[in-house]
Amino acid sequence: MADSRRPRTSWAPFALPGVGWLVAFFVLSVYAVVAVALGSTDPLLRTARPAWNPADWDTTALTKVISRVVGGDLGHVVTRTFGFVALALVGCVLIGYPVAYYAARGAHRGRKILLIALVLPFWISYLMRMMAWTNLLQPDGYVNKVLEVLHLQSEPRNWLDGDWYTVVIGLVYGYVPFFILPLYSVLERLDGRLLEAGRDLGATARQTFWHVTVPLSRPGLMAASVITILPMFGDYYTNTYLTSGSPRTEMIGNQIEFYLRGSSQPQTGASLVLVLMVMLFALMAYYLVTTAREQRMAR
Amino acid sequence: MTTSRRDFLRHSAQLGAALGVAPAILAACGGDDETSTTAGPIADGLEPEAGPLRIVNYADYINPDVIVDFETKYGVKVEVSSITTDTESVTKLASGALKVDLNHSMSTTSVGNLIAGGLLQPLNKSYIPNLANVVPAYADPWYDKGGVYTVPYTYFGTGIGYRADRIDPAQVEEWGWDTLWNATDFKGQVSVLDDEREALVMAMLRRGLTDVNTTDKAVIDTALADLLELLDLVNVKVNIEGYKDIPEGTTTVAHTWSADMITGAAGYMPEGTDPSVLGFWHPPAGKYLVSNDSMGVMANAEHPVLAHLWINHITDNAVAEKNFSWVGYLPVITKLDADYVIGAGLVPENLRNCVPTADEIAQGLFLRPLDPDGIALYEQAWSTFRAG
Repeated sequence: MADSRRPRTSWAPFALPGVGWLVAFFVLSVYAVVAVALGSTDPLLRTARPAWNPADWDTTALTKVISRVVGGDLGHVVTRTFGFVALALVGCVLIGYPVAYYAARGAHRGRKILLIALVLPFWISYLMRMMAWTNLLQPDGYVNKVLEVLHLQSEPRNWLDGDWYTVVIGLVYGYVPFFILPLYSVLERLDGRLLEAGRDLGATARQTFWHVTVPLSRPGLMAASVITILPMFGDYYTNTYLTSGSPRTEMIGNQIEFYLRGSSQPQTGASLVLVLMVMLFALMAYYLVTTAREQRMAR
Repeated sequence: MTTSRRDFLRHSAQLGAALGVAPAILAACGGDDETSTTAGPIADGLEPEAGPLRIVNYADYINPDVIVDFETKYGVKVEVSSITTDTESVTKLASGALKVDLNHSMSTTSVGNLIAGGLLQPLNKSYIPNLANVVPAYADPWYDKGGVYTVPYTYFGTGIGYRADRIDPAQVEEWGWDTLWNATDFKGQVSVLDDEREALVMAMLRRGLTDVNTTDKAVIDTALADLLELLDLVNVKVNIEGYKDIPEGTTTVAHTWSADMITGAAGYMPEGTDPSVLGFWHPPAGKYLVSNDSMGVMANAEHPVLAHLWINHITDNAVAEKNFSWVGYLPVITKLDADYVIGAGLVPENLRNCVPTADEIAQGLFLRPLDPDGIALYEQAWSTFRAG
């Protein structure tokens, strides 16, 4: 009965552009990747010959990639990628949370300026920013000069010689704005009365932060983490620029790039994409389940 | 030179693999002659077309002033379509997505198959009197017997570029390819070319093997094992940036192309650093990997006369020198030998050996097309190496 009293306006057509976009640029794209992974190679040009008909699918390349990832020569590339992303995420939390917190709850007059400053990096291409870092990190670059002025090192070092921490620093630098903004939007909407209640009940500022603010900001932390780590997993240019292609810092994105752009085996590259997608889907599933559970509890 | 050009070099071996099977496939499709095309050469004495002359080439691989000179001389426009890789070029040309008169920089691994595929037309050399200026060793290249379809554009070899102010040239001369393995004092400052064929073949040459087109898995696996040693020994990097990294000093020893050292000396020396700090070593003739790019007129060219006249233009001694001064890759022109380019101040004396000699070309090792299974072996080994 209640439904019969609602206006009869149908909202479904308004969803069509979004659905169309999703079908065109996600569903079909993913199917194209599947078709390439399970397809063949043009015998003349060695370019991908996708198998659009599932009856023509050939799992040889995919099976081989899985065996190389699970205990094979690509296993440590996957492990390394997860390690880099995990460390970069820790860096993003350590740097991003205080900034987002200050922007949301501490800064008053300077809030707009701070927000503009947070958005500024998006005005410059990610690649340009990484190229700028290659200059800053040169042996005679400003990073070394500053460290020497501060007496934190006596001799200039080459940050670009293939060390893992240079890549992690680069990832943190590149993606921390993506982390801060969604977290800020959650922190900014925190109900101040809950924080006051915590203090009124005798909690110290630190206890209030740990037992009230942090739990309430968990949805923001989760969203920021997902938004940050998804592109990090596919990143292949940060380490390429910052370590000049050191195999010690190779990530799974580099292998995908090699097989899709630099080899005659596009099926292998597409298969790697599928393997990575499955791994990320597991992470996404955890995020979705956790979020849904928290929403149920909030009701 | 730009990254695009280097990307091309990086991918040329792949294309070679891609097209290595072309003759067999074409034969299977009904072709009865591996080197036949659908058209013969153009007639003698034709007037140039009104243009425009359409060229496909890599970015920044022709001096813009040389293009303007041609436009002024013949009163036509020249349109250059840029591509990033050899694969991209062939795919677009074969599919008809790109229609041009002149393919300006074909790799040696793809030329034979472009001919077999009927994409090139035989040249009418009456339009190209400047062919007399081309290095005689390229009159009958292995990829185009008799030079019927192509004219060489630039050439270079593969060796070791290094900073002579950090590592003794005599030591590099003594060590040869072992320099890369012995440069343990320069951890993180050693690199190999980001090219599976070049890098793995280099490891084979180090062991004294000269069959640079082998598809023997055992040999490739041994080369891979040798390359993997470089990870711990020197924390090796994999890139095609030697042309700037060595001059700038972030790399001390690099497996690189000779042309990169000339380019680096000309355009990438930091202020206050003299090109004399650069050094280049390459194996002796007979063990020296030599490569070149070639020009050819497309079989479906709308302006074939202009295309021939362009080839004649770019092989003119003065034009070639002007082009080299901007491009950095040495034209295959007899006059522009080591003595001349050094005397003209285009190449520093310490990089004299970056200019391949006639003997080195005659005895050169060449990367030839491989069958798909063969290139797959190289690619898998390369993937394993890159994975660290």
